Amino acid sequence: MTDILRLPAETTYAAELEALKRKDDAPTPRGWALSPKAVVTYLMGGKAADGTPISAKYVGDRRLIETAVATLATDRALLLLGVPGTAKSWVSEHLAAGICGDSSLVIQCTAGTDENQIRYGWNYAQLLANGPSREALVPTPLYRAMETGKLCRLEELTRMGSDVQDTLITVLSEKMMPIPELNDAVYARRGFNLIATANNRDKGVNELSSALKRRFNVVVLPLPDDMDEEIAIVTRRVGEMALSLDLPAPKNVAEEVARVVSIFRELRGGSTIDGKVTLKTPSGSLSTAEAIAVTVGGLSQAAHFDGGKLNAEGLAPSLLGAIVKDPVQDKIVLEEYLEAVLKKRPDYAGYYRALVDLV
Amino acid sequence: MLADPAMVPPVALLVYASDDPARAAFWPFAVYSPEYQAACWAVRNGAAVRFIDVPAAWGLASGDEPASEPEAEPSDAAEAPVDEIAVRLERDPIGLLAEAGGYQDGESWWRDVIEESPASDAVFAAVADAMAALRDAAPPAEGREALREAHMRLEIAKAAKEQEGVVAVVCGAWHEPALKAKVPLSQDRDLLKSAPKQKTSATWAPWTSPRLAFQSGYAAGVTAPGWCGHLWETPREEVTVRWLGRIVQALREAGHIASTASLIEAQRLAVALAAMRDRPHPGFEELREAAIACLCHGERLVWETIAAKLLLGDAVGEISPDVPLAPLIEDLQREQRRTRLKPEALERELAIDLRSEGGLDRSTLLHRLLILGVPWGRQVDAGRSRGTFRERWQLRWEPEFVVRLVENLVYGPTLARAAAGRLTAHFAEAADLPALCGLTLSALTAQLPDAAHAGVERIEHRVALTSDCGELLSSLAPLGDIVRYGQARRTDAVQLETLFVRILSQGALALPYAVRGLDAEAAKLLRSALLAADAAAVLAEADLTDWRAALSTVVEDEQAAPLLAGVAARLLYEAGTIMPEAAADLLGRMLSPGRAVADAAGFFEGFFDGAGERLIYDPGLRAAVDRWMQELEAEDFTAFLPLFRRALGNLDRMQRRRLLDAVFGRGGAGLQGRAAAADAEAIWPAHFQRLTDILTARPAQ
Repeated sequence: MTDILRLPAETTYAAELEALKRKDDAPTPRGWALSPKAVVTYLMGGKAADGTPISAKYVGDRRLIETAVATLATDRALLLLGVPGTAKSWVSEHLAAGICGDSSLVIQCTAGTDENQIRYGWNYAQLLANGPSREALVPTPLYRAMETGKLCRLEELTRMGSDVQDTLITVLSEKMMPIPELNDAVYARRGFNLIATANNRDKGVNELSSALKRRFNVVVLPLPDDMDEEIAIVTRRVGEMALSLDLPAPKNVAEEVARVVSIFRELRGGSTIDGKVTLKTPSGSLSTAEAIAVTVGGLSQAAHFDGGKLNAEGLAPSLLGAIVKDPVQDKIVLEEYLEAVLKKRPDYAGYYRALVDLV
Repeated sequence: MLADPAMVPPVALLVYASDDPARAAFWPFAVYSPEYQAACWAVRNGAAVRFIDVPAAWGLASGDEPASEPEAEPSDAAEAPVDEIAVRLERDPIGLLAEAGGYQDGESWWRDVIEESPASDAVFAAVADAMAALRDAAPPAEGREALREAHMRLEIAKAAKEQEGVVAVVCGAWHEPALKAKVPLSQDRDLLKSAPKQKTSATWAPWTSPRLAFQSGYAAGVTAPGWCGHLWETPREEVTVRWLGRIVQALREAGHIASTASLIEAQRLAVALAAMRDRPHPGFEELREAAIACLCHGERLVWETIAAKLLLGDAVGEISPDVPLAPLIEDLQREQRRTRLKPEALERELAIDLRSEGGLDRSTLLHRLLILGVPWGRQVDAGRSRGTFRERWQLRWEPEFVVRLVENLVYGPTLARAAAGRLTAHFAEAADLPALCGLTLSALTAQLPDAAHAGVERIEHRVALTSDCGELLSSLAPLGDIVRYGQARRTDAVQLETLFVRILSQGALALPYAVRGLDAEAAKLLRSALLAADAAAVLAEADLTDWRAALSTVVEDEQAAPLLAGVAARLLYEAGTIMPEAAADLLGRMLSPGRAVADAAGFFEGFFDGAGERLIYDPGLRAAVDRWMQELEAEDFTAFLPLFRRALGNLDRMQRRRLLDAVFGRGGAGLQGRAAAADAEAIWPAHFQRLTDILTARPAQ
């Protein structure tokens, strides 16, 4: 085990990538490490040509991933949209790992990101000593990706100011970045492309200008359709996280995950799973990632305070925190749900009691 | 008749059993239907054309269900462990071929390989081979399938005998090997002998392209009639571009920005996707995904707003004027005979007693016609006689009603089904709860249990989603009507009652929040909803605990609109939840000098509006008001005067007299006269003078 808390995707899954590459005879775009088909297999899971099993990185609609990969193959930039917790960054990391074998060229966009962090910065000591020159340039991940023909990832694109976002327009349409100070330009090599992620729940943060938006193909990652699928995702990720946090997993994790996920799905979907009762939906997104966080929180509580027992009392506070984001509206929603649905379910009695006490 | 130039597809052949139009089946034809094209070609080229499938009569006679093709097979997979491949061979032969070709579903395989393939001749032969192979593997055709094929063979043989030259057969690929097979004619005839017979009538009906879609319930339909039409109309090389062009146009019409550059990108993405999926060229799915990613900025919702128009189309067919009579009119004539109601051009009044069978039938017929937009009868005292057993109608028949009936043909072949269909369509459009309740009520009156059921479901859905307290409350009154009304006619009200209780409790939950921060206008609106809801709840004899609890919260809530707090207090007082002494305290507190005059006035108005009469009969309340009034400073009293006048202004002369009598203890028989206070003589003259002024509506001095 390494001391690094989390390894990049291309290291963690090096064996799978190697296996896929070994017998990849489908046509491969120039600058790509794998063929588009192999990239889709890498993300969706399956078997490599030599029989090595490939684990699924994304559980969901294959067509979405196909669209994403095809977009990158047409040298258009890809924008992954979705509510928080729908695996946007996860998919973008693995796309980069699959396509160019390097997922480390990341720019985290924030309100404080300026043009120098997107285009290039200057080493001022050099600049003062020798005047503007290539040596005095400090390249950014985007710069490096263009030079080496790799994928650059932009996280939370809409968090960055609109004026800074628009720096990308030239890069996207002309695949070059002018350096007016040197009367020079960086020309992107084949294989260069951009994957941006953005959150479509916080409308109006820094809405993309339509000129920029037009240069992206957009893929919206949805919340999982299928209950079993979601339970599987949560169980797997909770297992992985518990392992890396050294939390022991009690036996009943699977059952509690199923309950938490079904509560989440019912509230999110606006009706009970059997479709008999329609419900109001709370204002939060109740994503899969939050279900994972609730369960891991419960595990941590169980391990450190409840003597290793995972139960409704331990999960309820984090559950409440995930559901009630707006103290008035969401509370009504939750109360209605508790009285109309959970009260009648004997196997949720613990949750009902614990939540009623907390509300 | 099909190829008549006055016929504009989509049209449908409607066949129904003559004695029971409810057993009917439609056979729709679109421009791109092979049958339609074959018929048109035949007419243009002077060839004889005929249908060779079994007469519709057999299908209608054999099953009680209206038969439509292909008929559903019983789910034998569940009953007996049949060889799975064999079952699938019967149900979805193309699907098997597609799977062999590496496709996920039969539809897309069929499109790629057959319909959109450039070299059609070779493909046809190959399909024939493949089908023959599949048929060999499948169990021999049985039942209706066998009948159909036998009939087709006979008809082909007959045609070959009667006509010179080649006979062209347009049929599903599945039947091809069977039709080629050499089967003795006598064997086929034997098979057909046992076929059930049924007298049928046939007519043509205008069809609409959305109803060609599989989703609308047409089992042999296509998923996207718009796409099929597009494929038919557009030259093969331009299919992709033109389709994307239509998407772009639809987007622009819907007010979205869609540039030509994006169109190019969409085209490139579609081609890349097709290449990745090993398709020869972009199919419907690739184009859709490309359009979503490039043109709709990834928003599936945007796509869905334009998809209906693009995919389903909005074409409406036309039928030539010389087609036989439509079934709704026939059904109406039958109903008229049955209920002995004759259409008359002059106005006539009709009183119906709902307790008799005949009366109920007549009323039902008229109500159904009303739903269909055919106002043959107008209910004279509409809205007042609901729930009683008598209805009065004005009848007058207008010739254009026939046309309106034919228009309703799309909803169903009989009056009952058309009315139900039309109501269901209205449900989908109804925006708010009261409207939905009204529609459901009309479904109940017209004896359309299915539509009523659908209505109740919609209400339930809507109730769950709405958080607008006013809407919830104002739906209670009509719903309460329905619940009580259930007893006058034979309807199943249990579901409605549960729904009523649910809305009531939901309204109770929402009420305390809804009464906060309202201006005068909004408070007034909510007041009427609140009063109506309370009346309905009391009449429906529902469990009122939660409701009353919510009302008490409103009374206690500092932030509640004072008007509504007053109304709530009154309702509670009337219900006996607040005792007279407590009411006096409450009035005192709410109207105490510490509160802003406007707030106090609001409360007072809420409490007393429409309840002035209470003062006459309720000594406890009178005492409370009395005490409060006496404590008022002269200045405040003047400020409150207009309010008193408003609250008591709607008493008539007689009531005022009685109020005065009550106040001065001159109590008549019905009044529990209260002994006048000892110092009444001293205190009252001034008050009396003012009160008289108020009550006689003279301005205060």
